[in-house]
Amino acid sequence: MTALLFDGIVQGLQLSLLAVGITLIYGLGGVLNLAHGQFAIVGGVAAALLVSFGANPLLASLGGIGAAGVLGLIVDRTLLLPAYRYRGEERLLLGLILTLGFSFLIDGYLNWKFPEFSLSFQLRVPMVELAGIPMRTASLAASLIAMTVFAVLFAFLKLTLLGKSIRSIIENEVGAELCGIDPSRTRTLIVFLAAMMAGVAGVTQGLFSSLGTEMGPEFTILGLLVAVVGGVRSINGTLAAGILLGIVNVFASHYVGAYVAYIILLSFAMATILVRPAGLLARFT
Amino acid sequence: MLVRVEALYAGYGSTQVLRDVSLEAHPGEAIAVIGPNGAGKTTLLKAIVGMLRPSRGAVRYEDRHLSGLRAYQVARLGLLYVPAERELFPTMTVLENLQLGAYRNVRAAGLQLGYVFGLFPRLKERQRQLAGTLSGGEQQMLAIGRALMGGPKVLMLDEPSTGLAPKAVAELYRNLSQLKDAGLTLLVTEQQVPLALSLTDRAYVLEQGSIRLSGRSSELLGDPAIKRAYLGVV
Amino acid sequence: MRKYADIAAVTLVLALVPAVAGGSPYYMRLATLALVYMAWTVAFNLIFGHTKQLFLCLNALAGTAGYLAVVLAIQLKLSPWVTVPVGVAAAAGLGALFSYVSVLRGLGVIFLGIVTLSFSLIFHNLVLGLRQFTNGETGLVSRGLGFSLLEQPVPSYYIFLAVLLAALAIYQLLMSSKSGMAFRALSDDELTAELSGIDVTWYKVLAAAVASAILGLSGALYAFYNGIVSPSVFSFVGIDIPVLIALLLGGMRTRLGPVIGAIAFALLEELVRPFGQLNVLVYGVPLIVLFTTFREGMVPLLGKCLAMLDLRQAAPLGSEQAEGQRRTP
Repeated sequence: MTALLFDGIVQGLQLSLLAVGITLIYGLGGVLNLAHGQFAIVGGVAAALLVSFGANPLLASLGGIGAAGVLGLIVDRTLLLPAYRYRGEERLLLGLILTLGFSFLIDGYLNWKFPEFSLSFQLRVPMVELAGIPMRTASLAASLIAMTVFAVLFAFLKLTLLGKSIRSIIENEVGAELCGIDPSRTRTLIVFLAAMMAGVAGVTQGLFSSLGTEMGPEFTILGLLVAVVGGVRSINGTLAAGILLGIVNVFASHYVGAYVAYIILLSFAMATILVRPAGLLARFT
Repeated sequence: MLVRVEALYAGYGSTQVLRDVSLEAHPGEAIAVIGPNGAGKTTLLKAIVGMLRPSRGAVRYEDRHLSGLRAYQVARLGLLYVPAERELFPTMTVLENLQLGAYRNVRAAGLQLGYVFGLFPRLKERQRQLAGTLSGGEQQMLAIGRALMGGPKVLMLDEPSTGLAPKAVAELYRNLSQLKDAGLTLLVTEQQVPLALSLTDRAYVLEQGSIRLSGRSSELLGDPAIKRAYLGVV
Repeated sequence: MRKYADIAAVTLVLALVPAVAGGSPYYMRLATLALVYMAWTVAFNLIFGHTKQLFLCLNALAGTAGYLAVVLAIQLKLSPWVTVPVGVAAAAGLGALFSYVSVLRGLGVIFLGIVTLSFSLIFHNLVLGLRQFTNGETGLVSRGLGFSLLEQPVPSYYIFLAVLLAALAIYQLLMSSKSGMAFRALSDDELTAELSGIDVTWYKVLAAAVASAILGLSGALYAFYNGIVSPSVFSFVGIDIPVLIALLLGGMRTRLGPVIGAIAFALLEELVRPFGQLNVLVYGVPLIVLFTTFREGMVPLLGKCLAMLDLRQAAPLGSEQAEGQRRTP
């Protein structure tokens, strides 16, 4: 039971890592990034490539994460430029379509270039005991990494002026501009960070499971679901939603078949969106 | 002259709101723009500050052209705008809202904060409170305080008395008067004409998108046309 | 009658296709498929183009009708004449339900998109999970169930042409009636439309129900025509994406945009086919290029070209939305 719960939290943190990037990009850029899952895959693929060139796995992972970030930067500064020329719903739809198209390109290219790709890290110590509960070191490591990333993110957003300026733009872009904050420079930074977080998710996927090039769309959809359930403008909500959905997914998979579990997860997500359209932890709607 | 608007035409889409509007403000002056609802006062301020692109005419600030600049760039030049909607950050604290106001000038933030708290002691009391939970008058104070944190040379306020109880309005205008005495250049739009005219040196009357009248505020107060239209005197 | 000259012209051209391609089963199938997609795109035009409801579950709606029609025919030995209407009703019901709930809960465009996308995935997994009825990934054979007309290339083609024309007729009927004005109003500004006394809920649900019925009809007939129903026949990537591209290519909110767009997309797909795996370019690149350049789509563009060449004094193709297009930046 607790093993399941723990597994759920590990998976949930993964989803939250992906989702928080989508939330941030939506909050700052007004664009729903349908290529987000691909950032994770690119991160994993880059890491694997670096390992194949003889790099140490840890450095390769960092390199992969960096590569994901750079891809995000490029997307923000080139692909999304036409979208940024508009505002509101126009920008949303245009961004949706542009990122969707880009997602297809990456997916197609990666599947064509690396048809049998699989990233999987093997740790020297497969199992470890924590408070009397045996768990896979890989899962523990993955969750610790995710939690660290979140802790750093929260600290950054809460304590630094730059972080506060990011929150201010998400909350009220007009107000932020009136304070002399440049939304587009900040946005580029955020896309860079969000893409890197996706890269972390991709690499940690290779840690406690395995990463394949065809997983991009699935990552994007799961990330989207979690982001929307958590409330597309709330970072706390996204974290909560991810863990919640992760737990639901693990329990459902354990007690029923894989297909039914996915259906339960999707129905649960749909129900939450319908019941609380503003998001799980929405306060000022 | 510090701010000069020259023959400005502006509107939204195909709707023309401002027609051939010109005004100017000299350093240390307090200017009022009065007029009825829908006259274009907000449009004027938005056009000056870069939130709206004028179709014709120019806005000059200290000899620079402001046309084409984005709102945040204008803010960084020292021309700060407090909109009628205030545009605060409701889930952030009073202190954080103020800190963000000093974004472009972090070094002076400490001093500015002391000044703002001195001017609005209520804000100091509530500094850890979430901005969304403040009363109308307090939110207005916070909005002005946030703008002041940016060390403005010109402060523009759009109908600052809106939605405030009379006591709060009186307090607000006392504070504005203090700012004026401290040498800040003010541009205030108002529907509450007597207030605006008593605070300011000069005023412009904006009706249906054009300047109908302008002059020294004290004189306008005594003008019979103004009296009839805005002061309810028959 | 001048107003319908364009539809008449297109119908004529389409009706003559079997005369040219009749000998080649490959091209007949291609053409028939194009007709199916055209009908689907007309439906999407109603739902997304005119009432801004981002339904990302076209495949699930068409697939629900398709699977229901085939499974009922197999399991209950019912005639397709019975099962197809059942499928259509189910699709229409589902579409109306999603629309109604989304208006009720005030869901914005993306939320509805995510909810319908979830439904699309649920559909996919339901089909895989209920393998005792659907035979899972392998699918079911839909031949010999009593719909012999759909097993011959030329009659099939004309059946689907009839379906397309019916869809266009329904579209035209809706657009030239009160509903058309309501659609225009609510796609511009829902709140204002509501305040002006337009029952936004009713019109959105109407559009969704009608569009879903069209999706279902085409979907159910397609299930029989195809000979096999399997998850890959009604996949998101196989239906929703091409329809979206076709609508954008052809021109949203225009009468013939769906038709032209679907033809253009089919041609594109054929061109890229020899490149094998890289056919994602057909999906990725047009999406990106389209939305950055031809915002309005081909039909308005063609209309403008023809207007420039002074060939038309009347309003250009797709005249109902001339004002709508003007407002698009």
